[in-house]
Amino acid sequence: MTETVNGAVFLALSFATIGGAVMMLSTRNVVHAAFWLLEVMIATAGLYLLLSAEFLALVQVLVYAGSVSVLVLFTIMLTLRRREDAIRPFEPGWSAGVLAALFGGAVLFAAERFFSQPRPGVMPETVPDVAAFGEKLFGTWAVPFEIASLVLLVALVGAVWWSGGEGR
Amino acid sequence: MGYVIAIPLLPALAFGVLAPLSNRARNAAIWVPVAAVCGSLLLSLAAFARVWPGGHEGEAVYRASAVFATLGSVNLHAGVLLDPISAVMLVVVTLVGAAVQVYSVGYMHRDERIGWYFAVLSLFTAAMLALVLSDNFLQLYMAWEVMGLCSYLLIGFWHEQEAPRKASLKAFLTTRVGDVGFVLGLAVMYATAGSFDFAVVLHGFTWVPATATAVSLLFLFGAIGKSAQVPLHVWLPDAMAGPTPASALIHAATMVAAGVFLVARALPIFQASGVALTVTMIVGVTTAIVGGLLAAVQHDIKKVLAYSTISQLGYMFFALGAGGIVAGIFHLMTHAFFKSLLFLGAGVIIHAAHTQDMREMGGLAKKMPVTTATFTIGSLALAGIFPFSGFWSKDEILTVLWTEGHYVVFALALAAAFVTAFYVARLWFRVFTGPEQTPELAEAHAEMLVPMGVLAAITAVIGFGSPYFARFLGHTGAWPEAGIALTSTAVAGLGLALGWCAYGRRTKVINTRPLKERAGFVYDALAMKLYFDLTYDYFIVKQYARLADALWAFDHTVIDGAVNGAGAIWKAGADVGALFDTYVIDGAVNGTATLVRAAGAKVRRIQVGRIQAYQGLMVGALVLLMLWFVVKGA
Amino acid sequence: MTIMQPVGVLSFVALSAVLFALGLYGALSRRSTVMVLMSLELMANAININLVALSRFSAPAEMTGQFFAVFSMVVSAAEIGLGLALVLALYRQRKTVEIDAMQELKG
Repeated sequence: MTETVNGAVFLALSFATIGGAVMMLSTRNVVHAAFWLLEVMIATAGLYLLLSAEFLALVQVLVYAGSVSVLVLFTIMLTLRRREDAIRPFEPGWSAGVLAALFGGAVLFAAERFFSQPRPGVMPETVPDVAAFGEKLFGTWAVPFEIASLVLLVALVGAVWWSGGEGR
Repeated sequence: MGYVIAIPLLPALAFGVLAPLSNRARNAAIWVPVAAVCGSLLLSLAAFARVWPGGHEGEAVYRASAVFATLGSVNLHAGVLLDPISAVMLVVVTLVGAAVQVYSVGYMHRDERIGWYFAVLSLFTAAMLALVLSDNFLQLYMAWEVMGLCSYLLIGFWHEQEAPRKASLKAFLTTRVGDVGFVLGLAVMYATAGSFDFAVVLHGFTWVPATATAVSLLFLFGAIGKSAQVPLHVWLPDAMAGPTPASALIHAATMVAAGVFLVARALPIFQASGVALTVTMIVGVTTAIVGGLLAAVQHDIKKVLAYSTISQLGYMFFALGAGGIVAGIFHLMTHAFFKSLLFLGAGVIIHAAHTQDMREMGGLAKKMPVTTATFTIGSLALAGIFPFSGFWSKDEILTVLWTEGHYVVFALALAAAFVTAFYVARLWFRVFTGPEQTPELAEAHAEMLVPMGVLAAITAVIGFGSPYFARFLGHTGAWPEAGIALTSTAVAGLGLALGWCAYGRRTKVINTRPLKERAGFVYDALAMKLYFDLTYDYFIVKQYARLADALWAFDHTVIDGAVNGAGAIWKAGADVGALFDTYVIDGAVNGTATLVRAAGAKVRRIQVGRIQAYQGLMVGALVLLMLWFVVKGA
Repeated sequence: MTIMQPVGVLSFVALSAVLFALGLYGALSRRSTVMVLMSLELMANAININLVALSRFSAPAEMTGQFFAVFSMVVSAAEIGLGLALVLALYRQRKTVEIDAMQELKG
């Protein structure tokens, strides 16, 4: 028995993701861009659900949609003196575009060409649930998990230090 | 015997306790490291007593090891090995360590960061003990690097000033040059013998001379860096910018002796090579003479002692090079005691005279009797005068050289002994006799004098243990031969006499200008530290800066062109490929080449200094790489 | 691919490649440091999708890709926190968030 991913749902979500990214990069207002990023993140959470990674979807919403977007918005507000500063001139960046397109094209080409993994749209069915995920996270992956928390702590201290008061 | 493991763990624990504390709490808790090192000292003495009456090197009285990491199928061990050599080193390190720490309580008591100083000192002691106890070369290397870090931290302890900051960097980088050799040696050793364990690589493996030479020369290079031998000695005199007690422990008694210890441990490999022994001897004897000559022209009291340390370490190296492991280790031990004593004395003198320049000192003998007495004992030991410890160990080295038939080295060693005696006399007479130049001289506190007294007592009597020491290391011991003893004493006496002639018969502030003018060329060369530092500055530091400039210019002009060129070259390569490939692929490649070229032309304009330009370059390179794979795959 | 047809792993990879390229374009072209950081998040997101999708299709029981994605999220969360702190520090010093203001390391 195998599971399948619903094509319509996938199409809708990928449209939301890519469309959101395009809008984020094309809008001239930085605040709007932050909201488009939020939209991309939420759409990605949907993709995770589609891939039966419920926990990741939850974390995605909490971390990215919740905190990161707020953080970005705060930074934008703290670094804007006037409301009009949010509007920036459009920066086409042609060379960057060509480079990025080339890169994406190369990846796509390589993926299409050399992918040897199961081609048909079937996913193996045996999917462990969130409970199994938690058990593994605090079993096999306990040490990396602790290290990750340490990384976050250090980043926290560093961020406070850098953005701290005028005294420095 | 399990308590042996606790010997390095106690100071490590002290560091663990102190390091996370706040500065103030740390300053209040400095008794913790002192207690820890005293505990280590007691345990070391117990271990020493257990090893008594000794045996052969590598014959473990106690050993324990555990796997600390598994890389694939390779298990890396950490362990302790208590054999006669490590027992001796344990006692030396903990004794000097304890003396220095007690002394530091008095010496550093006004410093704001005394707690941190003690924490690093503890970490250092732990690392050194782990080094002497290690049962494999990998653990030895790890402890070796931790010591390097502590050395860096302590040299730069007063990092608010520029000189210590620069000196710490110089020490770290210079020793690092040597460490590269050590690491490569470890790699070659593992590749050939498949193990780091002493038991395997030293006693259970038959070395081919060629690989033995490679391993031992690479190890020697590491030892040259750590033990400040020519040509990597330049860091040690600058390292004197650190606190004086730290210099006594790290840069005189223990860490710099680690190189000697490494060579002594790896001596079976050196002997399998043969060539390496000769090289060791040449390095040692060159260093002994160069160090001695340089010590004779320094004015900074600590730098005299630093060059003297370099010179004495050279003695140990050529002793080992001649195969005299007993003589080498014995000199290491006596030198550790008398040189740390001299450094501690120098610390007291610097405190009292408020200067490190010997030209501004004088007449200290009258006001500071205890310091003078202990310092004199240390000086005579350094000069090699009977019955102090230096006499015995130097004689043992000379005896080894004579019996092994290295007559040239023997003569050079005597010359080095002569120079040694001369600069000892120069130092002593300048500091302790002559007119007083400092108004209020006062003797130091008891906690500084007691450690000095202990070290002086050891220096005075330990020499008589010379034959027993040889037996302890599993060799036949004997008293020095009268002929050699007399010769060396006569040479040392001559040196002292010359020193007295030049610096002792004075009533006023002395003037050595006539001497300098008569031997101008030699003196200048010596005063410029034989041009070592200048040479390095010119050929390495400056050239490096020029290389960096050139690379920048390269970046500026050539890379820009290269971005364009890459497209063209790509196109050319694709044209060649067209002979083999299908028409379609060829066209695609040509197309991308044109695109890359266009992108390159754009990228070129946003060159240099902009983060995104570098990012773009990186991605561009990645794209090229991927395209190459695609073409190759197709 | 017709709608309602099952979706294969390649579709996810393609989606992630496009998203990554978009992020790359943003990171390379935007003048505003905040926009650059947001684009970096886009790229990190693309990678996470890739990780999860590949893990889901090849070895779902192991969930290795999911764990990697979790750690990757941790790292990128730390990165954006530090990055935005840097932007604030830059703004306080230079009164601007333009990336061109950071050229101290120019040769």
